Amino acid sequence: MRTLYKYLVRLHPPAFRREFAAEMLWIFDEAAESEGALSLCFDGFVSLARQWVLRSGSWKLAVAGMGACVQITAGGLIFLLLGQARGGAELQTHHASGVALSGLMRLIVWLVGAIVLMVIGASLWVRSFIARRMERAPGRYSLT
Amino acid sequence: MNEDPDPFLPLSPAALHILLCLAGDARHGYGIMQEVARQSDGRYKPGPGTLYDNLRKLMSQGMVEEDRRRSGDDDPRRRYYRLTSFGRRVLAADVERLKSVVREANLRLRGPHPRRA
Repeated sequence: MRTLYKYLVRLHPPAFRREFAAEMLWIFDEAAESEGALSLCFDGFVSLARQWVLRSGSWKLAVAGMGACVQITAGGLIFLLLGQARGGAELQTHHASGVALSGLMRLIVWLVGAIVLMVIGASLWVRSFIARRMERAPGRYSLT
Repeated sequence: MNEDPDPFLPLSPAALHILLCLAGDARHGYGIMQEVARQSDGRYKPGPGTLYDNLRKLMSQGMVEEDRRRSGDDDPRRRYYRLTSFGRRVLAADVERLKSVVREANLRLRGPHPRRA
Protein backbone atom coordinates (compact mmCIF):
# COMPACT_ATOMS: atom_id res chain seq x y z
CA MET A 1 0.00 0.00 0.00
CA ARG A 2 2.92 2.33 0.71
CA THR A 3 4.25 1.73 -2.79
CA LEU A 4 0.87 2.70 -4.24
CA TYR A 5 0.84 5.88 -2.14
CA LYS A 6 4.42 6.65 -3.15
CA TYR A 7 3.46 6.43 -6.82
CA LEU A 8 0.37 8.56 -6.25
CA VAL A 9 2.57 11.23 -4.66
CA ARG A 10 5.09 10.94 -7.49
CA LEU A 11 2.37 11.57 -10.06
CA HIS A 12 1.54 14.99 -8.57
CA PRO A 13 2.61 18.12 -10.51
CA PRO A 14 6.38 18.75 -10.10
CA ALA A 15 6.06 21.98 -8.09
CA PHE A 16 3.73 20.38 -5.53
CA ARG A 17 5.79 17.19 -5.43
CA ARG A 18 9.04 19.03 -4.78
CA GLU A 19 7.50 20.95 -1.91
CA PHE A 20 5.42 18.33 -0.12
CA ALA A 21 6.17 14.78 -1.35
CA ALA A 22 8.61 13.90 1.43
CA GLU A 23 6.23 15.17 4.10
CA MET A 24 3.25 13.34 2.63
CA LEU A 25 5.19 10.09 2.69
CA TRP A 26 6.31 10.79 6.24
CA ILE A 27 2.68 11.33 7.29
CA PHE A 28 1.73 8.08 5.54
CA ASP A 29 4.40 6.26 7.56
CA GLU A 30 3.16 7.84 10.79
CA ALA A 31 -0.58 7.66 10.21
CA ALA A 32 -1.12 4.50 8.13
CA GLU A 33 -1.99 2.44 11.20
CA SER A 34 -4.24 4.93 12.95
CA GLU A 35 -5.95 6.51 9.92
CA GLY A 36 -5.95 3.49 7.61
CA ALA A 37 -3.70 3.11 4.59
CA LEU A 38 -6.69 2.82 2.27
CA SER A 39 -8.19 6.16 3.29
CA LEU A 40 -4.78 7.83 2.91
CA CYS A 41 -4.45 6.35 -0.59
CA PHE A 42 -7.93 7.60 -1.43
CA ASP A 43 -6.92 11.07 -0.20
CA GLY A 44 -3.77 10.83 -2.33
CA PHE A 45 -5.85 9.96 -5.37
CA VAL A 46 -8.26 12.88 -4.79
CA SER A 47 -5.29 15.18 -4.24
CA LEU A 48 -3.72 14.00 -7.50
CA ALA A 49 -6.89 14.84 -9.44
CA ARG A 50 -7.24 18.18 -7.64
CA GLN A 51 -3.67 19.26 -8.30
CA TRP A 52 -3.73 18.35 -12.00
CA VAL A 53 -7.27 19.36 -12.87
CA LEU A 54 -7.87 22.41 -10.68
CA ARG A 55 -4.51 23.79 -9.62
CA SER A 56 -2.14 23.20 -12.54
CA GLY A 57 -4.40 24.85 -15.12
CA SER A 58 -4.48 21.74 -17.34
CA TRP A 59 -8.26 22.07 -17.44
CA LYS A 60 -7.80 25.27 -19.46
CA LEU A 61 -5.95 23.28 -22.11
CA ALA A 62 -8.63 20.58 -22.14
CA VAL A 63 -11.43 23.18 -22.40
CA ALA A 64 -9.55 24.99 -25.19
CA GLY A 65 -9.13 21.71 -27.07
CA MET A 66 -12.79 20.79 -26.63
CA GLY A 67 -13.84 24.30 -27.69
CA ALA A 68 -11.70 24.03 -30.79
CA CYS A 69 -13.22 20.64 -31.67
CA VAL A 70 -16.76 21.99 -31.20
CA GLN A 71 -15.97 25.00 -33.38
CA ILE A 72 -14.46 22.88 -36.12
CA THR A 73 -17.37 20.44 -36.07
CA ALA A 74 -20.01 23.19 -36.02
CA GLY A 75 -18.21 25.15 -38.72
CA GLY A 76 -17.90 22.07 -40.92
CA LEU A 77 -21.57 21.14 -40.49
CA ILE A 78 -22.73 24.68 -41.24
CA PHE A 79 -20.50 24.77 -44.30
CA LEU A 80 -21.93 21.49 -45.57
CA LEU A 81 -25.54 22.44 -44.83
CA LEU A 82 -25.17 25.81 -46.51
CA GLY A 83 -23.52 24.18 -49.48
CA GLN A 84 -26.33 21.62 -49.79
CA ALA A 85 -29.09 24.21 -49.38
CA ARG A 86 -27.61 26.69 -51.81
CA GLY A 87 -26.32 24.58 -54.55
CA GLY A 88 -27.73 21.10 -54.16
CA ALA A 89 -29.05 20.98 -57.65
CA GLU A 90 -25.97 22.67 -58.96
CA LEU A 91 -23.77 20.12 -57.22
CA GLN A 92 -25.77 17.29 -58.68
CA THR A 93 -25.34 18.63 -62.17
CA HIS A 94 -21.71 19.42 -61.61
CA HIS A 95 -20.58 16.32 -59.77
CA ALA A 96 -16.94 17.22 -60.25
CA SER A 97 -17.31 20.48 -58.30
CA GLY A 98 -18.99 18.53 -55.43
CA VAL A 99 -15.99 16.25 -55.22
CA ALA A 100 -13.75 19.32 -55.19
CA LEU A 101 -15.85 20.84 -52.40
CA SER A 102 -15.58 17.75 -50.17
CA GLY A 103 -11.85 17.60 -50.88
CA LEU A 104 -11.49 21.25 -49.89
CA MET A 105 -13.52 20.61 -46.75
CA ARG A 106 -11.29 17.68 -45.82
CA LEU A 107 -8.19 19.81 -46.38
CA ILE A 108 -9.57 22.59 -44.14
CA VAL A 109 -10.41 20.11 -41.36
CA TRP A 110 -6.95 18.54 -41.58
CA LEU A 111 -5.27 21.95 -41.54
CA VAL A 112 -7.25 23.19 -38.55
CA GLY A 113 -6.69 19.90 -36.72
CA ALA A 114 -2.95 20.15 -37.37
CA ILE A 115 -2.89 23.74 -36.08
CA VAL A 116 -4.77 22.73 -32.90
CA LEU A 117 -2.36 19.85 -32.32
CA MET A 118 0.63 22.13 -32.88
CA VAL A 119 -0.76 24.67 -30.39
CA ILE A 120 -1.33 21.94 -27.78
CA GLY A 121 2.15 20.50 -28.39
CA ALA A 122 3.79 23.93 -28.20
CA SER A 123 1.90 24.75 -24.97
CA LEU A 124 3.05 21.51 -23.35
CA TRP A 125 6.62 22.06 -24.52
CA VAL A 126 6.66 25.63 -23.17
CA ARG A 127 5.31 24.42 -19.81
CA SER A 128 8.00 21.73 -19.51
CA PHE A 129 10.64 24.23 -20.66
CA ILE A 130 9.61 26.72 -17.96
CA ALA A 131 9.48 23.93 -15.37
CA ARG A 132 13.06 22.93 -16.28
CA ARG A 133 14.21 26.56 -16.04
CA MET A 134 12.45 26.86 -12.68
CA GLU A 135 14.39 23.87 -11.40
CA ARG A 136 17.63 25.57 -12.38
CA ALA A 137 16.72 29.07 -11.18
CA PRO A 138 13.75 28.96 -8.76
CA GLY A 139 12.05 32.31 -8.23
CA ARG A 140 12.78 33.73 -11.68
CA TYR A 141 9.88 31.99 -13.40
CA SER A 142 6.31 31.32 -12.39
CA LEU A 143 3.78 28.93 -13.92
CA THR A 144 0.76 30.44 -12.16
CA MET B 1 1.52 41.91 0.60
CA ASN B 2 -2.19 42.65 0.91
CA GLU B 3 -2.87 44.00 4.39
CA ASP B 4 -6.64 43.97 4.16
CA PRO B 5 -8.14 40.68 5.46
CA ASP B 6 -11.60 41.26 3.94
CA PRO B 7 -10.87 39.82 0.45
CA PHE B 8 -9.91 36.52 2.10
CA LEU B 9 -13.16 36.15 4.03
CA PRO B 10 -14.98 33.90 4.62
CA LEU B 11 -12.29 31.29 5.12
CA SER B 12 -13.00 27.74 3.97
CA PRO B 13 -13.53 25.24 6.84
CA ALA B 14 -10.14 23.65 6.14
CA ALA B 15 -8.31 27.00 6.09
CA LEU B 16 -10.09 28.11 9.28
CA HIS B 17 -9.11 24.93 11.12
CA ILE B 18 -5.50 25.10 9.92
CA LEU B 19 -5.09 28.75 10.95
CA LEU B 20 -6.70 27.96 14.29
CA CYS B 21 -4.25 25.09 14.84
CA LEU B 22 -1.31 27.33 14.12
CA ALA B 23 -2.57 30.21 16.27
CA GLY B 24 -0.96 28.69 19.34
CA ASP B 25 2.33 27.29 18.20
CA ALA B 26 4.26 26.15 15.13
CA ARG B 27 3.27 22.63 14.07
CA HIS B 28 4.28 20.08 11.47
CA GLY B 29 1.81 18.66 8.94
CA TYR B 30 0.86 15.57 10.92
CA GLY B 31 0.51 17.69 14.06
CA ILE B 32 -1.92 19.96 12.21
CA MET B 33 -3.95 16.95 11.04
CA GLN B 34 -4.20 15.59 14.59
CA GLU B 35 -5.08 18.98 16.05
CA VAL B 36 -7.81 19.59 13.45
CA ALA B 37 -9.31 16.19 14.30
CA ARG B 38 -9.16 17.06 18.02
CA GLN B 39 -10.72 20.51 17.50
CA SER B 40 -13.63 19.06 15.56
CA ASP B 41 -14.12 16.06 17.88
CA GLY B 42 -13.06 13.77 15.06
CA ARG B 43 -15.77 15.02 12.68
CA TYR B 44 -13.30 16.59 10.27
CA LYS B 45 -10.07 14.82 9.41
CA PRO B 46 -8.26 16.33 6.44
CA GLY B 47 -5.87 13.96 4.67
CA PRO B 48 -2.32 14.97 3.71
CA GLY B 49 -3.42 15.96 0.20
CA THR B 50 -6.12 18.33 1.45
CA LEU B 51 -3.83 19.66 4.17
CA TYR B 52 -0.92 20.52 1.88
CA ASP B 53 -3.17 21.94 -0.81
CA ASN B 54 -4.55 24.37 1.77
CA LEU B 55 -1.16 25.03 3.37
CA ARG B 56 0.27 25.88 -0.02
CA LYS B 57 -2.55 28.34 -0.68
CA LEU B 58 -2.24 29.91 2.76
CA MET B 59 1.52 30.26 2.31
CA SER B 60 1.10 31.92 -1.09
CA GLN B 61 -1.42 34.32 0.48
CA GLY B 62 1.08 35.19 3.22
CA MET B 63 -0.99 33.81 6.10
CA VAL B 64 1.31 30.91 6.97
CA GLU B 65 5.08 30.58 6.73
CA GLU B 66 7.59 27.85 7.32
CA ASP B 67 9.28 27.84 10.70
CA ARG B 68 12.91 26.86 10.13
CA ARG B 69 13.60 26.04 13.76
CA ARG B 70 13.74 22.31 14.48
CA SER B 71 15.03 20.17 17.30
CA GLY B 72 17.96 17.79 16.80
CA ASP B 73 16.03 14.52 16.97
CA ASP B 74 13.40 15.58 14.41
CA ASP B 75 12.77 13.52 11.30
CA PRO B 76 14.39 15.56 8.47
CA ARG B 77 11.20 15.16 6.41
CA ARG B 78 9.24 17.17 8.97
CA ARG B 79 8.64 20.84 8.29
CA TYR B 80 7.07 23.21 10.76
CA TYR B 81 4.57 25.91 9.88
CA ARG B 82 3.50 28.98 11.80
CA LEU B 83 0.99 31.77 11.50
CA THR B 84 2.15 35.17 10.21
CA SER B 85 0.82 38.38 11.73
CA PHE B 86 -1.34 38.82 8.62
CA GLY B 87 -2.70 35.28 9.04
CA ARG B 88 -3.54 36.10 12.64
CA ARG B 89 -5.47 39.19 11.54
CA VAL B 90 -7.40 37.23 8.91
CA LEU B 91 -8.23 34.55 11.49
CA ALA B 92 -9.40 37.19 13.98
CA ALA B 93 -11.57 38.85 11.32
CA ASP B 94 -13.15 35.52 10.37
CA VAL B 95 -13.80 34.66 14.02
CA GLU B 96 -15.56 38.02 14.42
CA ARG B 97 -17.64 37.23 11.34
CA LEU B 98 -18.54 33.85 12.79
CA LYS B 99 -19.50 35.45 16.10
CA SER B 100 -22.01 37.68 14.34
CA VAL B 101 -23.38 34.63 12.48
CA VAL B 102 -23.81 32.80 15.79
CA ARG B 103 -25.46 35.87 17.38
CA GLU B 104 -27.92 36.09 14.51
CA ALA B 105 -28.59 32.35 14.62
CA ASN B 106 -29.26 32.49 18.37
CA LEU B 107 -31.70 35.37 17.92
CA ARG B 108 -33.63 33.57 15.21
CA LEU B 109 -33.65 30.18 16.89
CA ARG B 110 -34.86 31.64 20.21
CA GLY B 111 -37.69 33.55 18.50
CA PRO B 112 -41.25 32.22 18.03
CA HIS B 113 -41.50 28.96 16.12
CA PRO B 114 -43.00 29.27 12.65
CA ARG B 115 -46.70 28.49 12.54
CA ARG B 116 -48.01 25.71 10.38
CA ALA B 117 -50.06 26.91 7.46
